[in-house]
Amino acid sequence: MALISIPLPAHRSIQFNFSSLNGTIRLLSNRRVQLALMILVPILLLTVFRPFLPIPGPLETNLRAMTKPPSFVHLFGTDRMGRDILSRTLAGVQISMFVGFAVALLSLTVGLVMGTLAGFFGGVIDRVMMTITDIFLAFPSLLLAIGLVSVMGTGMLPVVLAISLSDVPRFIRLQRSLVLSLRSRAYIDAARTVKASQMWLMTRHIVPNTLAPLLVAASIAAANAILVEAGLSFLGLGIMPPAPSLGNLIRDGQTYLEQAWWISTLPGAVILLIAISLHFLSDGIRQVLDPRSRK
Amino acid sequence: MNELRPIRSALLDVRNLHTHFLTDKGTVKAVNGVSFQINQGERVAIVGESGSGKSAMAMSLLRLLAYPGKVVSGEINLEGRDLNRLSERQLNEVRGRLVGTIFQDPMSSLDPVMRISNQMIPPIMRHLGLSREKARAEAISWLDRVGIPDAARRIESYPFEMSGGMRQRVMIAMALSCRPRLVIADEPTTALDVTIQAQIVELLKELTAETGAAMIFITHDLGLVARFAHKVGVMYAGKLVEFGPVKDIFARPRHPYTQSLLDTIPPVDQLERRRLAQIPGFPPDMKLPVTGCAFKDRCAGAHRRCFEVAPELEPRGHGHAAACWLPEGLGAGRQMERALIPPMEPAADAGEDRVVVEINNLHKHFTTRSSLPWRKPPTVRAVNGISLRIRKGETLGIVGESGCGKSTVARLLLGLDPATSGDIFIDGMAQMVFQDPSSSFNPKMTLFNIIQEPLVVTGWGTKAERETRVRELLGQVGLDESYMHRYPSQLSGGQRQRIAIARALALKPSVVVADEPTSALDVSVRAQIINLLVDLKQKLRVSFVFISHDLLTVSYISDKIAVMYLGEVVEYGPADEVFNNPAHPYTQALISAVPIPDPEAEEARIQKPLSGELPSPLNLPVGCSFASRCPKATDYCRTHKMVLKPYSKTRETACHYAS
Amino acid sequence: MLTYSFKRLVQLFVTVLGVVTLVFFTMRLIPGDPISAMAGDNLSGAALDQMRGQMGLNDPLPVQYLTYLGRLAVLDFGTTVTTKLPIVGLILGALPVTVSIALGTIFLTVLISIPLGTLAAYMAHKGNRMLDNIITGVAMVLDLMPPFWTSLVCLLIFSLTLGWFPASGTVSLDDPAMLLRRIALPVLVLSMAQIATLARITRTSVLEVLNEDYVRTARSMGWSELHVLFRHALKNAALPIVTVIGLSFGNLLNGTVIVEFIFTLPGIGNLLVGGMNSRDYQMVQTLIVFYAMIFVAINFTTDLIYRVFDPRVQF
Ligand SMILES: Nc1ncnc2c1ncn2[C@@H]1O[C@H](COP(=O)(O)OP(=O)(O)O)[C@@H](O)[C@H]1O
Ligand code: SF4
Ligand code: SF4
Ligand SMILES: [Mg+2]
Repeated sequence: MALISIPLPAHRSIQFNFSSLNGTIRLLSNRRVQLALMILVPILLLTVFRPFLPIPGPLETNLRAMTKPPSFVHLFGTDRMGRDILSRTLAGVQISMFVGFAVALLSLTVGLVMGTLAGFFGGVIDRVMMTITDIFLAFPSLLLAIGLVSVMGTGMLPVVLAISLSDVPRFIRLQRSLVLSLRSRAYIDAARTVKASQMWLMTRHIVPNTLAPLLVAASIAAANAILVEAGLSFLGLGIMPPAPSLGNLIRDGQTYLEQAWWISTLPGAVILLIAISLHFLSDGIRQVLDPRSRK
Repeated sequence: MNELRPIRSALLDVRNLHTHFLTDKGTVKAVNGVSFQINQGERVAIVGESGSGKSAMAMSLLRLLAYPGKVVSGEINLEGRDLNRLSERQLNEVRGRLVGTIFQDPMSSLDPVMRISNQMIPPIMRHLGLSREKARAEAISWLDRVGIPDAARRIESYPFEMSGGMRQRVMIAMALSCRPRLVIADEPTTALDVTIQAQIVELLKELTAETGAAMIFITHDLGLVARFAHKVGVMYAGKLVEFGPVKDIFARPRHPYTQSLLDTIPPVDQLERRRLAQIPGFPPDMKLPVTGCAFKDRCAGAHRRCFEVAPELEPRGHGHAAACWLPEGLGAGRQMERALIPPMEPAADAGEDRVVVEINNLHKHFTTRSSLPWRKPPTVRAVNGISLRIRKGETLGIVGESGCGKSTVARLLLGLDPATSGDIFIDGMAQMVFQDPSSSFNPKMTLFNIIQEPLVVTGWGTKAERETRVRELLGQVGLDESYMHRYPSQLSGGQRQRIAIARALALKPSVVVADEPTSALDVSVRAQIINLLVDLKQKLRVSFVFISHDLLTVSYISDKIAVMYLGEVVEYGPADEVFNNPAHPYTQALISAVPIPDPEAEEARIQKPLSGELPSPLNLPVGCSFASRCPKATDYCRTHKMVLKPYSKTRETACHYAS
Repeated sequence: MLTYSFKRLVQLFVTVLGVVTLVFFTMRLIPGDPISAMAGDNLSGAALDQMRGQMGLNDPLPVQYLTYLGRLAVLDFGTTVTTKLPIVGLILGALPVTVSIALGTIFLTVLISIPLGTLAAYMAHKGNRMLDNIITGVAMVLDLMPPFWTSLVCLLIFSLTLGWFPASGTVSLDDPAMLLRRIALPVLVLSMAQIATLARITRTSVLEVLNEDYVRTARSMGWSELHVLFRHALKNAALPIVTVIGLSFGNLLNGTVIVEFIFTLPGIGNLLVGGMNSRDYQMVQTLIVFYAMIFVAINFTTDLIYRVFDPRVQF
């Protein structure tokens, strides 16, 4: 499971505007981004339109088709209760995507606010914040999540919160270091010579220049969250059956590994695909941001 | 060895060298047919703007280019052997042994996790076949010769324990340690202060003369060339455009590029100030094929032939050669464009001549956080009691070695840092222009928003008024209005500096503080910015504080000069008086360290480089702060502090013995 | 050096105290209380109360907290709720398995990835990016494979189908051969992700060093490229590599929990999952604190190693 470790492009040239058309075009013409979208978009479309696809529902059992290997009728096969694995996988993807998106959004928002405050004002706020993040970073991420789930119970919300709690400190650190490197830029000094307010400096000069690297980190965090959620559910500590989380599917199949390999392996492959494409996405964004990494 | 070749004394004979960088975006033809010769013991300087291929050429000689650089063709005959045809293994017997190399950045050129001894001794053992003890003694004696104090002990240091100047000395010792026949030095002093530069240059000159080694010295500083070289090669767009004996090149340059380069340098003689020559446009993109002369788009003498056929390096007599269709280059046309700068018009009324900045007994101390709570934290006295006045329309130049407190004064003036004690009065507002054009602007803002930011923040005018003002400012700094909606990344260094100036002028400040505004720019662009500043000063009567380590530029642009040493002003007065007749021993040393782009004058000057380095501002001496390096220091100086005192009617200096 | 270690130790102490406090109070946030959660509906109100009294759960929270700290200070971690065994004993019994897996993984990882990464960097430096691209690609895929899934796939292929490694069997230090055969597959699974990552980082660090000016200096003194690679590049690249190995311990600890669960190995990860499933909060609490302390201690050690070996760092 990937830790978020982001070589910062921040101190190099950030010459990128997400808002501008030009920026979007450059992003879309990046090979990695294209590759990522080629995987993500179909999966997303299938997930969204699953109810309209000619496949059984994820919870529909079929006693006449129990433990069937992949075929044209059941592309991913069926489990011991005759449930269609493809359908369950797509439903699982929906949960995974939600978890990934929610964690990324939550961590990014909290990290942005707290990291900016710590980096910009320094002093006591900074020291307290750093001590707290130190404490959270002392837990390996899955173990922190396990501990928190044990307190908050299982289910979607606890899982999202538990994973976010191990990501938030990383985002705070990232944002803080970005802010620190920007704070000493000459253009901040230039604005200060005309007595620009702190608010002006933060909103006009600092935060806009941190968004791009944060977004890179967020797409990695989303991939990471999907993997951790699957891990928790696999251990029976995440989202509870019969909800078809991808981790649950793999856990289901574990017992029948020898008789029905497809129950575990195919959903796992889908997780892998999603995680890889999210990484491609972040890599692509980084390449567009930092021309030197292209080589 | 080729028996048929006429026997010459040439040590190195380079013929038709071509070097390419095979990048994803195309082939960069960095060196495009360079030929020249160097005799035994000769010092040859290669000058040119950055990107002209100087380094690529020098590194090609020993095939030291990393991928994607590649020597494509050419002969590199060293003592009759073509290095270009040697195998890597054979070449490794030449590298370090027959040819020593010194690189630009002393901070990164030595392995940071290895002691000096481990970097110096093994090559000596290998190339000279000495035992470890002998090699060690040899290494120590070299360190001693390059002026490392206590060499026997310092050889066990790590590079980080030494200053930049010391590291460059180590590099020189290392490059010379196997007694090479040729030394290649790629901008060996660019990263160093003038005083240290003077020491290093003297050292190189002495040592190569002693050992009889020839030398290729790459630089973009024409002053250094005059001080140092026997011969000069001028590079432009991967080619040598002029080559010849140094005096001849300076006295009678034949190529328009060389001529323009020489004219971009501020003259030493300040009696009549002329505008500096500017070279318009940019060097060509070396990925694209060039037809005709590569300089044609920027040349005042360009004519039809220049667009069709590229001129070759042709002899012009006295061993002088130039690559231009015009035998005399721009010839007499050279001087014509350069208008005399009219003297400042006297102020219309007394109010116009008022003092706009007054600094009284300014101090700034930085207290680093102590590592242990119970220990007293060390204090750096960056600015240590400075008093200055600037009148309206006056330009004050501040000079001094790096670390002497110049930039701290600038930040205090701008109100970016609070002063520890002392007062600053500014009648109006102070604005700034910074050194590094790349971090000066928010990359997410258009130039329009950048320039109007001060107006918006202070609530100046309506939207339409601000737009008019921005247009006006762009006009004043000589940029087209169409630039308004571009982003900083789309500009060149010189254009960015113009934008920085426009932003600084937006609120009609009474003083503009410019901290090394031209240091990151190439010579030809530098001249444009200096001309612009001079114009603005005349037109707007705005005061400037011009901070730079480039004394020639400072003395050219300033009315008054303040010389700083260890946080104090040691001399203050009118620019030409201070420059031509310095009173304080430090100013004298500083000025004699500045190389003058005139070989005859350089020869006549007595070179006595200032010894030692700037002491740490952590524990300042009790007496005169300059005493540790002053040639005239006495015991009295070491115990008695000297403050700035009137020296003549217009000048002040802080020395007990400056009468 | 001493000053620095002292400062770091103080920081370490603050962090550990924070960890303990955080875990303690979080555990008390559990709705209801641990006892009723553990006991389910089987016990009467009176019996529950008695258990609470025994465990000090009726005391005010600050008192409970101080008592807890006091017991931690003398390394008394209490007993499990269900079986009443001392937790320290259980942890010490399970530790060798986890440590063997972790050390095995690190050994295998370093052995393979450093030469591989160095080779890739060297080739990339010469303009041949083939190995470089392969490693980067493979690293990304391996790095993102969920370890529980990889474990299952490996189990399916190597144990169930090919029968190379036993999928079950008692594990103890007394039978090293069996131990080795049982942990081989988990080590392989965990190494897969780590090898790729470390190879990529080695490659980046070495490549960066190869582009440094001092490498060119060494070349200009006539040293061959291999000499430069071993004498200068590896030495300088070692420092970031050590740091990354230290940091990757977090991932490794995550991973051991999962492989121990899947391969039914009696390590501390299995204790943790077991504790979660049997709702033994005392156990979970202790183990989480224990993991955090291991992680903190490893980071501390890495940091010190870094500083001892880098002459530039001053204390
Ligand atoms: N590693 C490289 N990759 C691509 N182009 C390069 C590389 N190094 C230098 N160049 C190009 O080669 C030309 C000459 O560079 P250089 O020799 O460094 O010039 P100088 O030393 O005169 O400043 C420039 O156009 C530069 O951009
Ligand atoms: S050949 Fe023509 S364009 Fe080139 S330098 Fe001479 S006059 Fe100028
Ligand atoms: S006071 Fe003495 S030491 Fe100081 S500058 Fe004058 S002569 Fe030198
Ligand atoms: Mg160069």
